[in-house]
Amino acid sequence: MNKELEHSFVTHLEQNQNIVHKICRIYTSDPDSHNDLFQEITIQLWKAYPNFRGDAKFSTWMYRVSLNTAITLYRRSKKAIKTADIESFSFKIKAEEYDDQVEQQLKSMYKAIKQLNDIEKALVFLYLEDKSYKDIADTMGISEVNARVKMNRVKTKLKKILNP
Amino acid sequence: MDELELLKQDWKKQEEALPKLTYTDIYKMKLKKSSSLVRWIFVISILEFFLWASLDTIFKFSGMQTEFESKNLENVFTGISIFSYLILLYFIIRFYMNYKKIRSTDSTKVLMKNIIRTRRTVKQYIWVNISQICITMFAATIYIYFFTDEFSNGTTAQAAPVWLFIVVTVLIISVFAGFFALFYRVIYGILTRRLKENYKELEHLEEV
Repeated sequence: MNKELEHSFVTHLEQNQNIVHKICRIYTSDPDSHNDLFQEITIQLWKAYPNFRGDAKFSTWMYRVSLNTAITLYRRSKKAIKTADIESFSFKIKAEEYDDQVEQQLKSMYKAIKQLNDIEKALVFLYLEDKSYKDIADTMGISEVNARVKMNRVKTKLKKILNP
Repeated sequence: MDELELLKQDWKKQEEALPKLTYTDIYKMKLKKSSSLVRWIFVISILEFFLWASLDTIFKFSGMQTEFESKNLENVFTGISIFSYLILLYFIIRFYMNYKKIRSTDSTKVLMKNIIRTRRTVKQYIWVNISQICITMFAATIYIYFFTDEFSNGTTAQAAPVWLFIVVTVLIISVFAGFFALFYRVIYGILTRRLKENYKELEHLEEV
C-alpha cells in the first residue's frame, strides 16, 4: 500500500471532515448510526481516492462521494429510532445566541428536514452549503432546471410540514 | 422562504458543535471493511453463481445423467451442458463489466442506474437458471412417461391418465419456481427497496 497516498488522504479528510459530519447529521438520528455512516463514507472515499486527480477541489469531490454513499450505498444496519432525545442529538442549538422564538423556529426546521426523503435531504443539504444550482444538478445527475423546480417543491413541502 | 435563510445562517454556526476526529481515528476507519449495498449485492451474486454451478455439478455426479446417457441421450446432454456453460460465461462477463462500472464518483443518478443494471443482470441470470431447470424437469418427466419401459409397458389401469400426470408435473414445477421467485424477491427486496425509491424520485424529476 502506498504510504504517501494514505497519508495525503487521511490529512485531506481530517481537514474536511466537517462536510461528512454534516451529511451524517442530516441522514442519521443517533450517535451510533452517525459513526457508522461516517465510517462507510471514509471507506468509499478511500476506495475512490486513487482516481482523484486533483483537478477538482478535494471538497467538491468529497460532496459527491459522501452524498452518494449516504443516499445509495449505505445500508442502515439498525432501525431508525425516533425519540425526542435523539432529535436533540442531531442539532444542538446554542440557546444563548437566539431568542426563544427563533430557537423554536430553528428546532422545528431541523425536525422538518428529518421528515424529508433521501433525495430531498440532499437538495436541502447542498442548498444550505451554499452550492449553486449548477453544482447541485451536477452532483445529483439532473438538469439545472429540474434542480430548481425540485428545490422549490422541497421548500413548499417544508412549509407544509411546519404549518400543517 | 425566510425560515430556510435563517437556517442557512445557523447551519454555519453548527460546525462548532460537530465532532472532531483525529488523524488516527480516520486512519483506523479507512482500514475497515465496507458494508455497502454494492458489496452486499456482489457477495450474494457470487454465492448465486456458486449455488447454480454446484447444482449443475451435483446433477452430473449424482448418476442421473448416466441413466439418461444409457438411453442414447448423450448428444442431447452434451449440447445442454455446453449451452449452460456458455450462458454462465456470458453472465459472469456481463456481471463483472457492470460491477466495474459502479463508481461512487459518478453523479447520484448514474450511480443508481449502474447498480440497478447490475442487480438486473443477476435477476436475469436467476430466471434463466430457473427456466432451464423447469424445462429440463418437464422434458424429463414427459420422456420418462412416454418412452421408458416401466411406463410404456404398464397397463392402462395402473398408469394415471395423461392429463393428471401433466397437471401434477406443472404444479410441482410452478411451486418450485414460485419458491425461488419469492426467495429472491425477499433477498433483493430488502437490499434494494430504498435504492429503488430514491431512483424513482430522481426519475420522476426528469418527467417534469
